[in-house]
Amino acid sequence: MTRTGELAIDVCGLRKVYRGRREVVAVAELDLQVERGEVFGLLGPNGAGKTTTVEICEGLVEPTAGDVRILGRRWSDDPRAIRQRIGVSLQETRPDARYGQLSGGQRQRLAVATALAGRPELLFLDEPTTGLDPQSRRSLWEVVRSFRAAGGTVLLTTHYMDEAAVLCDRLMIVDHGRQIALGTPRELIASLGAGHVVELEAAGLAGRVDLGRVAGTEGVVECELVGDRLVATVERPHRVVPDLLRIVEATGLPLDGLATRHTSLEDVFVHLTGRHLRDGQEAS
Amino acid sequence: MRARVLREVGAMALRDYLRTPDAVFWTYGFPLIMALVLGLAFGERGAQPSRVAVVAGAEVLHAQLEPVAGDAVQIEIDTAERAQRRLVLGSIDAVLSGSLDAPVVTIDPSRPDAELAELRLESALRRARGELADAVQPRIESVDEPGGRYIDFLLPGLIGINLMGAGIYGVGYNVVQMRVKNLLRRIWVTPVGRVEFLVAFLSSRLLLALLPPFVILAFGMLAFGVPVAPGAWAAIAVLVLAGAAAFSGFGLLLASRARTLETLSGLMNVVMLPMWLCGGAFFSNDRFPAVLQPLVRALPLTWLTDGLRSAMLGATDVLAAWPATALLLAFAAATTTLAGRLFRWA
Repeated sequence: MTRTGELAIDVCGLRKVYRGRREVVAVAELDLQVERGEVFGLLGPNGAGKTTTVEICEGLVEPTAGDVRILGRRWSDDPRAIRQRIGVSLQETRPDARYGQLSGGQRQRLAVATALAGRPELLFLDEPTTGLDPQSRRSLWEVVRSFRAAGGTVLLTTHYMDEAAVLCDRLMIVDHGRQIALGTPRELIASLGAGHVVELEAAGLAGRVDLGRVAGTEGVVECELVGDRLVATVERPHRVVPDLLRIVEATGLPLDGLATRHTSLEDVFVHLTGRHLRDGQEAS
Repeated sequence: MRARVLREVGAMALRDYLRTPDAVFWTYGFPLIMALVLGLAFGERGAQPSRVAVVAGAEVLHAQLEPVAGDAVQIEIDTAERAQRRLVLGSIDAVLSGSLDAPVVTIDPSRPDAELAELRLESALRRARGELADAVQPRIESVDEPGGRYIDFLLPGLIGINLMGAGIYGVGYNVVQMRVKNLLRRIWVTPVGRVEFLVAFLSSRLLLALLPPFVILAFGMLAFGVPVAPGAWAAIAVLVLAGAAAFSGFGLLLASRARTLETLSGLMNVVMLPMWLCGGAFFSNDRFPAVLQPLVRALPLTWLTDGLRSAMLGATDVLAAWPATALLLAFAAATTTLAGRLFRWA
């Protein structure tokens, strides 16, 4: 056994370049420290380098540069000793003939079950719930939670912000092969500087509203137009909403909808990466 | 029907064909290669002399025939037993025994060259006697008893083809399919080692390959009365095992790096086609011109089919089968080792 307090995953200065006709930098520069006993999430758009990073940690891909220690050991030292202590559920690619009759949810649960079969200390889950229905996702979350409760460590990648928020102790958001944010879900949301989002919708709003006036309103941290929807990140919605309503009223357009909600991880993600998360094939 | 739709769908079918190298190969490459190889083996019939063995003890006959034989008949001396076997194997066209006054010509009537050889021999015998008419007709004997028929020749060849398929297809195709389906990666992430995996996989495939040859053999014996010399079984078993090992290793080597089934299928065509045609499975390798003989003799399938054929005819016992066995085992060791070095999980 490794000493207590030792990191489950300790990656320093990681870099991975795929050479070919066109050079592809999958991981530009990355440090990753995962404590024992935590569920750590890697988030990022398609092609951000998540899967490459996970596969390097799993010993499936050789890094171009950087030091990788898994449970205190390097892959070059004793791969079998590491393999005996980790469990891996690979990203699902296509149905296998043998268990083609199983549904997507059953297949993913089977994949995670095989990853858990060797009683691992460290579990790698690459997009474990992609393509699953809500019930299957929740039952997989339960598996991860009970594994963590028994002292296990998890590194997972996901496209789902709600999943990351409820499942992960800490998160790293990566894009273009670099870390762009690191922290607990709460810390990341707080980093936006405001806790609420107000959305006002009116047909034809896009051409009529004065976005500069919205941005200048006291209490508005950030604002943008998404179609005919005005989306503002604010600190105290009860103070700001009347002002925003007056601005929309001034356009003479009838208001079609008003909604307020807490800022979510997805807001953080879109703010940081500038792209919406897409569910689908991973390029990396 | 709309012309534009017809044109587009038609163009799609054409593009699909051109983008499938396999289909292009089987429609153009394969028939041309077949024509070339079979042409080499069977093409220049007119120009080829009939090969005749005079059995030992009838050397006088050899001396008498030699000066008058001309280019059409090629005469050599061999022991009666070996000459008989070579006739069965198709490496000679006729066996001559007896004397000038009472010659005996043995041919295999199932072979297309038999009649020509017989006529040429008769004419040579006439010239040797200096007669023009009133010829002494040679006694013609046929080898059509079990052992000399085409089915007897074919059966060891089919066993060879079967072992080649079991090894190259059974191992190669399955390994690449496991790679394509990501199954190899799933094993890779477990504590199973590369060598452990390869040894276990090869061994189980080897076991699977051992039974079919004996089923084919039993079928040939029961349905066609194909003879298997008593005492041949040990040699056959050893050769089957060595052949299975050789072709399993070969299959693994072909599959060690291939990332798609298309790549593998290309490699398999390149390797298996020459062996189908030149491996001595369906017709004797002796038909190929002398310049091609070293190439033909270098094919593992040739070692296996020739070895099995000799063993079944009782010409070689388990000890005498050692050269073929050793070649096959050396080939198995070389391909397996190389495959182990080159093998990639993903």
